[in-house]
Amino acid sequence: MALARKITIEPVTRVEGHGKVTINLDDAGKVIQSRFHIVEFRGFERFVQGRPYWEAPVLVQRLCGICPVSHHLAAAKAMDVIVGAGPGKLTPTAEKMRRLMHYGQMFQSHAPHFFHLASPDFLLGMDADPATRNVIGIVALNKERAVQAVLMRKFGQEVIQATAGKKIHGTGAVPGGINKNLSPEERDQFLKGAPPFTIDQMIEWSLAAIELFKDYHGKNKDVVDGFAAFPSNHLSLVRKDGALDFYHGVLRAVDAEGRKVLDDVDYQDYLDYIGEEVRSWSYMKFPYIKSLGKSAGWYRVGPLARLNTCDYIPSPLAQEAFEVYKAYTDGKPNNMSLHTHWARLIELLHSAEVIKELLFDKDLQGTKLVKKGKKVSEGVGLVEAPRGTLFHHYRINGDDQITMANLIVSTTNNNEPMNRAVHWVAEHVLAGKSEITEDMLNRVEVAIRAYDPCLSCATHALGRMPLEVELRDSRNNILTRKVR
Amino acid sequence: MIGFGNPGRRDDGLGPTAAERLSARSIPGVVCDSDCQLGIEDALACAEHDVVVFIDAARRLRKPFTFTRVRAAGSMPAMSHALRPEAVMAIAAELYGKTPDARLLAIRGKCWEIGEGLSAEAEADLALALEFLEEFLKGVRP
Repeated sequence: MALARKITIEPVTRVEGHGKVTINLDDAGKVIQSRFHIVEFRGFERFVQGRPYWEAPVLVQRLCGICPVSHHLAAAKAMDVIVGAGPGKLTPTAEKMRRLMHYGQMFQSHAPHFFHLASPDFLLGMDADPATRNVIGIVALNKERAVQAVLMRKFGQEVIQATAGKKIHGTGAVPGGINKNLSPEERDQFLKGAPPFTIDQMIEWSLAAIELFKDYHGKNKDVVDGFAAFPSNHLSLVRKDGALDFYHGVLRAVDAEGRKVLDDVDYQDYLDYIGEEVRSWSYMKFPYIKSLGKSAGWYRVGPLARLNTCDYIPSPLAQEAFEVYKAYTDGKPNNMSLHTHWARLIELLHSAEVIKELLFDKDLQGTKLVKKGKKVSEGVGLVEAPRGTLFHHYRINGDDQITMANLIVSTTNNNEPMNRAVHWVAEHVLAGKSEITEDMLNRVEVAIRAYDPCLSCATHALGRMPLEVELRDSRNNILTRKVR
Repeated sequence: MIGFGNPGRRDDGLGPTAAERLSARSIPGVVCDSDCQLGIEDALACAEHDVVVFIDAARRLRKPFTFTRVRAAGSMPAMSHALRPEAVMAIAAELYGKTPDARLLAIRGKCWEIGEGLSAEAEADLALALEFLEEFLKGVRP
């Protein structure tokens, strides 16, 4: 049998952590197989075992430098259940402080993702020189937008600092509540700060970002609509009344046509509905909806999924943008991967509107911060992290030590969708070509970047690790290997 | 001073630990910050200062630390959410027209597994690095 070609892209640029893409082609250039590998070992769940449960909300933040607040809050919500202060039992001050923290985190995560990770492909073009198709290239192209993105990120981080106590690895959320409120001075820095560092400016810039994408989309519909588009299930939390809610809700999943596969599910019972498949070639698991089975039960999470599962957005400007967005697919679910960026920008706007609404809420200056009830030995906490649904599940023993931890992070939930996206590109862009160009390889990365994956979370990876590239023939013999 | 790294991965926390210990010394004219990784917002912070020192853990150093100049470079690392110091300086120059005197203090680390606290070797190297840094700061303070 003649040798098959195996193309490996290593590492995936502009995302967190490390991943390897492997594509096998036969001699006719047809795709035999494509995989998105995760090569790093998970260990955090074992690390937290034996630690007192109240340490979990601080410890888990060390999983990731980009979304620590999501882990902080998911762990805190699980611990709320354990201390007998589960959903609906926190004080108004605690609930709203956590919401402000969380929406601040959404805002500071979504803004740089679009402007500095995804937009180089849109604004500079997928075929642009790789040396400049990055944030530096964006700075040179559109300085004003780049400055805005920096300030938007800083604004979100300041909100986090004011609520969590620190910019990173904050201690704001504790089991049963929060350890600080928001002082009037802290509030006013966001409402009345020196322009342009105000919430009203952040809302204005978020609106402009949506228009930027729509303008690009209008000129490049075929690419944006068609690229890595494939049907899938979609899963997220939604509020009980079907509204978009990043902090709390019930589990809902819809299929590619919009039919509800799961609805109004209490996430404390997630194990009855969600399974995790292990595959030999990746350390990252493959979650699936049990009622649909392993092969059909995979689903997307994140902005695209959230805007497919929710019925409406509870803030006026974002709702208006949502109606335009939904009209594009005649109200049906959107299965176009690159529309994730559109959805993300609507969420950016919604986050800013919610931050503003919360800043006017006097409950944030309340003094009742913690509540506790009857302790139990197990708790689950879910939030909608920037990248998608985040599951934290813990058990403790009689000595208050953690005995079990199970984390399903957003990127793990998107494992199969990312593999499908890579496969789409392999079939539509790479197959049958006699030469593999840089821009072809970049299209694989564009497909993955739509999911804004955080491989550090999924793999608990160190910031810097050696990377390995292997080229294997159709008999799996190593042809070449490179280590970076 | 910007110390960066993950304190949940043992000696990868050298950067933030160094920044925290320096901050505790309250050296006049010195502002300390720590983060898991450098981001675009650090370009704004760098542009507001005359001298910037990035502090990070390093693998496979033969001596306790190195102290090198950081020059703005437009090329991007493999991960761009997490920028290298050179990229932060390039963004500071492009966005704000500022080119502060930038250095990288790379401190030798030994243990990288999940866990808290520096190894004994890293603690020793950190002490030497901080001693050096304080002398350097005396020379640049107004």
